Order: sequence, then structure tokens, then C-alpha cells
Amino acid sequence: MDFFLGTYYPVFMYLVVVIGFAIAAPLTAHLIAPRKVTPVKQMPYESGMDPIGDARMKFDVKFYLIAILFLVFDVELLFLYPWAATNQTTGSLIPSAFKDVVFWEIQAFLLTVVVAYIYAWRKGVFKWR
Amino acid sequence: MIRQEDLREDILNGELTNLFRWFLGLPEDSLSPFPGLMAAGVAVGMLVGFVALSAVFFIWLERKVAGRIQDRLGPTRVGGKFGWLQTIADGIKLLVKEDLIPRDADHILFRLGPYIAFCGAFCAFIALPFAQGWTAYGTGTGAFAIGVFFILAVMSTEVFGIILAGYGSGSKWSLFGGMREAAQMVGYEIPMSLCVLVPVIVAGSMDLGKISANQAGWFWEWYVFRDPFTFVAFWTYFTCATAACKRAPFDLAEAESELVAGFHTEYSGLRWSFFFMAEYAAMFAVSGVAVLLFGGGWHLGLPVWTLVGLSPELSQVLNWPSNVLNIGNAINAGVFIVKCWVLVFVQIWVRWTLPRLRIDQVMMTCIKYLLPISCFLMLGVSLWEVFARPYLGDYFKFVLAGLVLISIIITAMRVFTTPMKLPTPGIDAPWGPRIPAEFTIKRS
Repeated sequence: MDFFLGTYYPVFMYLVVVIGFAIAAPLTAHLIAPRKVTPVKQMPYESGMDPIGDARMKFDVKFYLIAILFLVFDVELLFLYPWAATNQTTGSLIPSAFKDVVFWEIQAFLLTVVVAYIYAWRKGVFKWR
Repeated sequence: MIRQEDLREDILNGELTNLFRWFLGLPEDSLSPFPGLMAAGVAVGMLVGFVALSAVFFIWLERKVAGRIQDRLGPTRVGGKFGWLQTIADGIKLLVKEDLIPRDADHILFRLGPYIAFCGAFCAFIALPFAQGWTAYGTGTGAFAIGVFFILAVMSTEVFGIILAGYGSGSKWSLFGGMREAAQMVGYEIPMSLCVLVPVIVAGSMDLGKISANQAGWFWEWYVFRDPFTFVAFWTYFTCATAACKRAPFDLAEAESELVAGFHTEYSGLRWSFFFMAEYAAMFAVSGVAVLLFGGGWHLGLPVWTLVGLSPELSQVLNWPSNVLNIGNAINAGVFIVKCWVLVFVQIWVRWTLPRLRIDQVMMTCIKYLLPISCFLMLGVSLWEVFARPYLGDYFKFVLAGLVLISIIITAMRVFTTPMKLPTPGIDAPWGPRIPAEFTIKRS
């Protein structure tokens, strides 16, 4: 299996063009646009009031709980993708003798995730308090 | 399984590569890298240009559609009749506008946010095939073997830009918007990916080109109609994709009635417009994925060429000699783009029709409804493929496609035969709900 870099030229070029545009456009704006800094202009917007306290405050933990819950599902999905791509095709990576075993293993794996999901629901993780 | 040698063949025999080989006077089988490089350059230029232009077009379209839905006109002045140059004028204004960075902002993160959002949304187009083999990656019949996965992965980097913008701005509104966006994106990624798995299981491939090529022929070959699970998966995917693009009714990150402007409160000028280019590019990208996975890709749904007795593959019909330029593929790409525009229009339509949800409603819709539904769809389609399909055969798609067609015809007939007047005097609308005469405003 030889590696042919030419297949990836378009990807490299695309990245260069997109990142180049992302850099060049604000640079143009920097050259054209006026720049006159005043203290009031630099104040964070707080609906016309003077800002009270720092914006980087403690944040509600429920966002993190949900993020952690979803990380579990994200990892689960990573396992499912290769299986989904090779499940039905003939002559795929999975030998045909193991196909049924792999199929039921994936179903069992999903069942464990479903049990965890129901447990989390019963425990009240999904209540937005 | 895709082999490097095949990819090498593809890039060496691509349409644009052949065009440049012909242009440079090189023989057909020459191994010089220049035609390939030039072809790559042109393909990339066309793609970036198309994405940027379509973003400009969608911004104008959104304002016009919003105007019509809210019974006003939208932009009318710039560029003549329909205000079609309005976005260009706005772009020039944004370019010459002062670029403010607030005092409390984290300067590096504040600058980095828009770039990451922009690059994340635009790089998804690398793997989006517009017609058979028309991707930036592999200008030939080349296939991106993991196209779907690549697009989902790259699109979800957009959220980093939003979080950085929200956190780096040093404003409370921005922080709220950024955190909401983070929770929402992390949540909606899961049902979206699970719904994407449904056609992947059916096709047995993550290659978008291959999935779309499987749906050639009549419209009942499209994966939407294949079985009940794919049908529901299409709607679930589209809902999640709307949320993942942070479009209304899920646009909690920039809820202007609560958070001023959410994560981009402190942005001005060109940096601000980068977020919007990213949003509209992402809208087109998710619509493209929906079309490729469920909606038949670049196939018209009516096998016109077969009916008139030509080769079934449109790309093989209108082929110049020596495979220089493939007009059939260009027509297919046009069909694909029109289908994507229809879905983008639906997203715009939904935005201006439905009210915004609350953040807890948004999150609970995802966790308690969309996640179990999409899990069920994924399981159901894998079981259907293994157990139901061998017995039921291939006939279910005719039933589903027929029912959908009949319901579309009935709806269209009802819509177009119902007379209607808008409350504004003097403007007649072609269709819509009937408004009783006592509620319309009389012209004085």
C-alpha cells in the first residue's frame, strides 16, 4: 500500500486558502478601519450600566453534569461507527462467521448504555434545577 | 475498503486533472504533478468561492423571507429591485467598521474565536461531494472513505470558536451565550450522529459519494423512503442539525430577547461577520449531508436518461471525448445544490415561524426525546436490515414513497385552492390560511 501525497493536495490547499482568508480579511480591516480607543468604548457591554464585578464568575454545575453525561454517549458513538460501516457489506472487515456474534455484542453493548441512561434518568440527572 | 492505489488512480484520472493535462499538452497517462496541482487549486478556488457566495446569498434570502413572513418588504434599495446587493453593501460597511476589543477581553481568545468557527464550518466542505467524485478531496472519482464522520467531526469544532468567543469577551452576556451554546452543541451532537448512523448502516459505508450513488434511479430509491426508521431519522436528523447550527427555535446562544446578542455581543466589524459566514456555511453543509444521506444526493429522482433510452448514469451520458469535462456531472451538481437550497430555505422558514424555546426546554428535548428516539431508530434499522428485510423484500419503499407523494399532492391542492388575503391592503398573497373579512384592514 503505497502512500501518494498527491491525493491530499486539495485538502492542504483548501486549508491554506481558508486559513489565509481568515487571516487576510481582518488584516485588511485593520488597515482600512478607523481605530480610536476610548475608555468608554472599551467597556464591556452591560446594557448601558457600568459593569458590576468580573464576568468570569462561577458557573452553574448543571452544564458540566450534562457535558459529562454526553461524553459517555460520544465515546459509545465512536465504537458504533466502524461497526455500522461494516455491518451489512459482504466481504467486509468482519469475517462472516463472526458477523452474528458481533451484531449481538453490539446490541448487548447498547443495552448496557440504555440501562445507564435509565439509571441516570431515575436518579434525576435530567432535572433542570 | 478503499485502497491508496485507487485513490492515486482517481486523482490521476480526474476530470479537472484531465482538462489541465489537455491544456498543458501533456499525454493522457503522464504522471506530472502539475495538472493535479492546478486541478486541485481550481477545485478549491471554486469551492471556497461557491461557499462564500452562497453565504452571501442566504443572508439576503433570509432577510427577504423574514420580510415576507412578517408582512414587510425586507431589503429593497441596494442593487435595484430586490435589494440583492444588500449583503455586499453590509460587507463593505463591516470591513471599514472599527474593530473593538473590550478592555476585559482575553485578547488572544477573543481574536481566535471567530477564526476557529469560520475554519471549522468551511472545512466541512472538503468532504462534501457535489456530484459523482466532485469533492475538493480527490478531483477524480475519488472517494472520501469516511466522509460523514469527517464532516461531523469538523463541524463540531465550530463550537470551540463559540465558547472561546463567549469566554474571551469578558462580558456576562457573552459568557452566558457561550455556555449555553456549549451545552446545546454537546447535547445535539449525539442524536445527530445517531441519526447519521441510520443511513450508514443501510449503505454499509461512511463514504458520502457511495451512499448517494446507492440512491440512483426513481425517488423511492432514496433512503428517506427505504423503511420507517430512515423516514423518521431524516426528520430527527434535520431537527438536530438545525439545533447544531444554532438556528431558531434553538438559537439560545444569541437569544436577543434575553442575552442582547449572546456570544457575539462584544464583536464588531469583520470579526462579527465571520460568525455569520460560519453559520450560513454550516447551514448549507448540514443540508448537504441530509440530501446526500437521505434525499438521493445529486440524483433527480426521475431517471430521465433511462426513460429516453440512454445510459442510466447521467455522468456517463454527456461526456466529452477523452473525459475532459463532464457535463452530466455538472447537471447533477446543480440538482444537488438546488436540493440543498430547498433545505436551507426550510431552515430559514422555521426560524421565522416558530418561537424560541427556553434553555431547559432545549436541553430536555434533546435528552428526553431526541436521544431515545435516535437510539431506537439506530437499533430498529439494524434489526430491520437483518430480520425484516429478507422477508418483506424491497417493497416497503413503494408504500412509503406513495403515501408521501399523495400527501404532498393533497396539501398542495388544498394550499393552492384556498383563497386568501393578507391583512395589508393591496397585497394579495397566492396561498395561506383564509382570514375572515372582518379581520382584514380596510383601505381608507
